[in-house]
Amino acid sequence: MKTITIIVILLFTSMAMADSITIINNGKAGGSYNARTQMYKDGLEARGFEVMYENIGKISQAVKIFKETNKPTLMVFSSNQVHKQDLYHEKGNFILLEYQQPMYICKTNEASNKKVNLTVAHGKGYDTKLLNKIFGDNIVLVPYKNSGAMLKGILGGDVDAMVNNQGKSFRYLKSGKGTCDVSADLPIMMATVIGKNVNVKTIRKILVGVSYDKTFVDYRSTRKLDRPEGTWFEELKLVQESETNWQ
Amino acid sequence: MNELVAVVIGLFAGTITGIVPGAGVTVAMIVATPLLMGFDVVQLLLFYMSLASMVQFTGTIPAVYLGVPGETNSLPAVIEGTKFNKRKLAKLAIGICALGSLFGSVIAVGLSYGFISWLSKHMTVFFSNVTKFYLYIFIIGFCVLVYNKKNIFINMILCAIGYVLSLPGESDISSGFRYTLGIDDLQFGIPLIPVLIGFLVVPTIANMFGRNQKDNFMPSIDIGFCKVLKYFKNKCLPSTLRGSVIGYFCGFVPGVSTILSTNASYSYEKKLNPNNPGKTLVASETANNAGQFASMLPLLLIGIPITGSEIVLYTLLVDAGWSPFQFDNVSNNADMIFKKIVPWFVFANIVGLLVAWPLARTILNLFANKKKFMIGVLSVGMVLLNTYLGILDYRVVFYTTCLLIFGCVGFYIRKYETIPLIFMFILGNDMEGVFLRQWLM
Repeated sequence: MKTITIIVILLFTSMAMADSITIINNGKAGGSYNARTQMYKDGLEARGFEVMYENIGKISQAVKIFKETNKPTLMVFSSNQVHKQDLYHEKGNFILLEYQQPMYICKTNEASNKKVNLTVAHGKGYDTKLLNKIFGDNIVLVPYKNSGAMLKGILGGDVDAMVNNQGKSFRYLKSGKGTCDVSADLPIMMATVIGKNVNVKTIRKILVGVSYDKTFVDYRSTRKLDRPEGTWFEELKLVQESETNWQ
Repeated sequence: MNELVAVVIGLFAGTITGIVPGAGVTVAMIVATPLLMGFDVVQLLLFYMSLASMVQFTGTIPAVYLGVPGETNSLPAVIEGTKFNKRKLAKLAIGICALGSLFGSVIAVGLSYGFISWLSKHMTVFFSNVTKFYLYIFIIGFCVLVYNKKNIFINMILCAIGYVLSLPGESDISSGFRYTLGIDDLQFGIPLIPVLIGFLVVPTIANMFGRNQKDNFMPSIDIGFCKVLKYFKNKCLPSTLRGSVIGYFCGFVPGVSTILSTNASYSYEKKLNPNNPGKTLVASETANNAGQFASMLPLLLIGIPITGSEIVLYTLLVDAGWSPFQFDNVSNNADMIFKKIVPWFVFANIVGLLVAWPLARTILNLFANKKKFMIGVLSVGMVLLNTYLGILDYRVVFYTTCLLIFGCVGFYIRKYETIPLIFMFILGNDMEGVFLRQWLM
């Protein structure tokens, strides 16, 4: 009887001691935010954390909940979202820089030498002045909902060119219907993790470990994502520079 | 053996998903994700195929008998199916739908086999804005000219209301939030379920249990399978063929896929046979299954997902080791489709036919014997569904408020066909983007 009592007490004690943390999922199933959140959740659970998974699925709603929470909370984020969501990377919330990817400019084979009346697909939040600077004034800018819609648009023959992320640009390149080049003018997108009500330095150590788990390494390698390495301060500086460029 | 396990689980999940209103293939895929993480590529594809096919069969049952759409592509089944139900012929309606669905699937496989090389080369034609533009013109024209005894004025008002409801929140073509009226929850748009319940289910229930329709839940006339087969052979074959072809090609259009398949096929058949609910019902349900198969081909052949549920599948496939860059591998992919996927797809559809029939019989008997109880279950079920989805979306108060408002308005306008409103609500945001791009280009 004594043994059972001790086991029960130990069990409850160990449960109470397990670190509890909330992870907010701000992405739809099938998207990169969702996949990354899931991998962090699994990694933290494997390291003994008790993880509360808040499956919001919409970034605006997730940011609202993140700003209002008073519990230890983590959320994956990126430098291209900060201005729209009014949530910036800073010393109090920045945990780590996970990967970076440049933006690409893709052109159809037919339009490779076209300079006038070029139709250019772009995401709905893009700075049209910057696009005019890159392509010139004599272009037609065609807005699309997201990167996937742009890819389908250029494959369907809607436009002569598109400004898209690395993943979709690689897929277009693979189709053989056009060429893609890294843009030197467009800002680099940086994928990050931010936190609230947590000890940033402590949780960073753990999450850096998670981000080198096999699933994470495979994820980055399949998608050819570059993982910059540096100190916490260096990473924050890089992300804040990227934020400014996305303004 | 592994393939059989995946198919059986998919069929089971599809049966449940089909009879639960509002639970579509995407929701089922998300719910099943933990289970699917252990599946290999072929198992994942087979699970998805079986699930999506089965949903088309069993989704017809609540649509026809209860007037509750399982998914947005069940709207024609609701409109025409309830006409059968009022004449106590729900079993006939479900029977011809199941047969039509099987035919639609087989025809879709045949079309794919015949056109595979052409499809592999020209599939991206269906991704173009101009294709969507003309299809949307067709749907708007249909909404304005066909419903409410061809009352163009009423139909235009309903379309306008649907479009206005689709506006708040994030636009497809500009950043930021619009028309939120200072309400935070409106940033994410007006939710679909309260609109469907308020403008479709409430008027349907109100009309079904109105004073002049006391016998709605009288037992359905017991029609045997042979009679259904005879009815189908004599009256529905041409509609099945038309529905299959229209549904198949509309199935390639990204984003709207089977919604477009069913509604375009329904619109066309309604023009040809305005007073024949059997033909219009079969045409739309056949198109649904043909479109379902077609919608898978861009993903399977060139690695491009075109529907929400396929995006979920795509992620699982990539995690299971599938290469997302499929353009250089089209002939191998075509080979895989016909050798590994199609035989199971046909099997899943035959099982669908065999299951839908007895399942419908059970549900019909339940309703016939316990009318008032089942009406109560249906009403409470709708409120619970709305609340549950509101909780999942962190907007339960907003969902409830929307349900109350739309329910009252839906009851008030119950004598009108509200389908134009619902079409425009669902497609309005996408239409806006398509029309703007067409104008720009």
